[in-house]
Amino acid sequence: MTDIILQSHSLRKEFGALVAVDDVDMSIRQNTLHSIIGPNGAGKTTFFNLLSGKYKPTGGRVMFKGQDITDMPFHRRAHMGIGRSFQITNIFPNLTILENVRLAAQAVSPQAFNFWGTVVHHKDLIDRAMHVLDIVGLAGDSLRLASVLPHGDKRKLELAILLAPDPDVLLLDEPTAGMASEQVPEIIGTIDNISKAHDKTVVMVEHNMSVVMGISDVITVMDQGRLLAEGTPSEIANNKTVQDVYLGRLYGDADELIGKDA
Amino acid sequence: MDNVQDVFQETPQDVFRPPPMWRVFLREHWLHLLIVAVLIVLPHAIGWITGDSPFGRVRGSRVIMAGESTYWQAIFIEMFSLAVLVMSYNLMFGFTGVISFGHALFFGIGGYAVGIVVQYWDVDPNLAFIAGVLLVIFITSILGLLIGLLSLRLRGIYFAIFTLAIAEMAWLYAGSWRLTRGEDGLTINRLPEWIDPERSRLMVYYIGLALFVTAFLVIRRLVRSPAGAVFQAIRENEDRAKAIGYNTLRYKLLSIVVASVLAGLAGILMGILNKSARPELLGVTYTVDALLITIIGGVGTLAGPVVGTAGLHLLELWVRDSSIILSLNLGLFEFTLNFSQDWILIIGVVFVVVVLVFPYGLVGTWYRLRARVGDWWERRRATT
Repeated sequence: MTDIILQSHSLRKEFGALVAVDDVDMSIRQNTLHSIIGPNGAGKTTFFNLLSGKYKPTGGRVMFKGQDITDMPFHRRAHMGIGRSFQITNIFPNLTILENVRLAAQAVSPQAFNFWGTVVHHKDLIDRAMHVLDIVGLAGDSLRLASVLPHGDKRKLELAILLAPDPDVLLLDEPTAGMASEQVPEIIGTIDNISKAHDKTVVMVEHNMSVVMGISDVITVMDQGRLLAEGTPSEIANNKTVQDVYLGRLYGDADELIGKDA
Repeated sequence: MDNVQDVFQETPQDVFRPPPMWRVFLREHWLHLLIVAVLIVLPHAIGWITGDSPFGRVRGSRVIMAGESTYWQAIFIEMFSLAVLVMSYNLMFGFTGVISFGHALFFGIGGYAVGIVVQYWDVDPNLAFIAGVLLVIFITSILGLLIGLLSLRLRGIYFAIFTLAIAEMAWLYAGSWRLTRGEDGLTINRLPEWIDPERSRLMVYYIGLALFVTAFLVIRRLVRSPAGAVFQAIRENEDRAKAIGYNTLRYKLLSIVVASVLAGLAGILMGILNKSARPELLGVTYTVDALLITIIGGVGTLAGPVVGTAGLHLLELWVRDSSIILSLNLGLFEFTLNFSQDWILIIGVVFVVVVLVFPYGLVGTWYRLRARVGDWWERRRATT
């Protein structure tokens, strides 16, 4: 349980004079749900993009299962077992829901560059896709076009796309962004289920505080590109610095966050 | 019943027998087979109806290509060539989402390369012709690969403009180079007899038909394969395709190279039919035709380019041949529309109307309509 799967060593990213991520050391343990929170401009999305490989860091290293992946191209990381989502909904709109997920399963299969067989003959990939759609609760709609789904279901479809190649780590960038508040518990429940019942490590950047407190194993608070604090939800809620710098600005009482009054 | 064999024979898998292969094949392909059968007998059927031999007319000691059958053969050879060009363009543009404004480059290379080899290489015409075809395949695949590699750096409209520039450059060179006989174009009169449209047009017709069918099957096979599924993913959302682990460049290259080679082969057929290679083959007109016909027929559908090419080509033929003259006299203005003279205006109007009425192209809109009706039927059945 305590094996470290993803790690950053003094990871740094500068945009001109702005230091977005300032020498961050972070360790993410296997099979945990690890949330990264922080106020706007804290550098959490930049840090996330460094982990996922979208940005090249200015300095420092990213290690995955003890292997240096800092310079590994974007598409190779998916083969290593890292799946990432995007802050804006990012699916294949004019393909069916099944095809969206099947493509993700195919990407890591030996069939990926097969240009002579026929898709429908590779039933294992279709089965895998249906299994994953079942987990997120979209199996019934599998033959509809992805573009017709309501926003909340599109985010679930994204989760299914991430799960299809059976990755070890899921990187989620604000999975509740743009969602109606009544849909949030549902998607959070799905994420919780994925991390606990299906043994996945989930790294989640989130804005929505109450979401993070309920399901995280570990929370890291970032501010101005640096790590401010790290710990369990209750530790973070009771952390004086965090309360002053971040939580205090948004919420008067830290107890509210861990739901003592609910 | 203690025999294991007997127990297994009771399982439902054995009770359910799939229909025989040939029946599945027929159900899926009856329309394809019908079209190919019609195209095979067409020259003979026209010959039989009009009384003109599909092999041409005998004039003294020579056979000349005259009569209805050979006339229609030429029209269909041109359609085969255009259809292959449009299908190849659709593979790239419609299925993979790579927009090129210079696809005629490969079309022109097809005509010119074969022409240059048979005209200048002083060997047996059969050998020269085959060498020319191989050379076209070689050049178009290498060039397609090189241009495709640039799609890594240039995306969308920038890639399109770059390909346009390359094709226009080739067009200018072909029009001024001595080897290509400049503006006059290169006359191709040293073709082997079996593929000379002035001597054995029926053979050229069947070769064209074979090329057309082969191109269709290759593209069909390709887009239904696992790799072809990735083409469509790239068209939909290239960043997403990368994020789920595809090296998208590899797939784009495959698509571009196959499209380039097919366009080159289509160009060979056009060069043979015209018995010349002229700079127009490299011109932007052919690219625009391919683009527009793809849109008219249905972007990203297999049948779209074929339906579009046939429809537009036959319509153009009819409009240019027709003797319809519409006059509108408004006292001050007199407006006359002569179909055969103003054919390009008529085609333009048809274009606009088709795009408005069929926003996804003829075939694409039909598919969507069919899917929607099917959906509605399913829902109705589910509720009642």
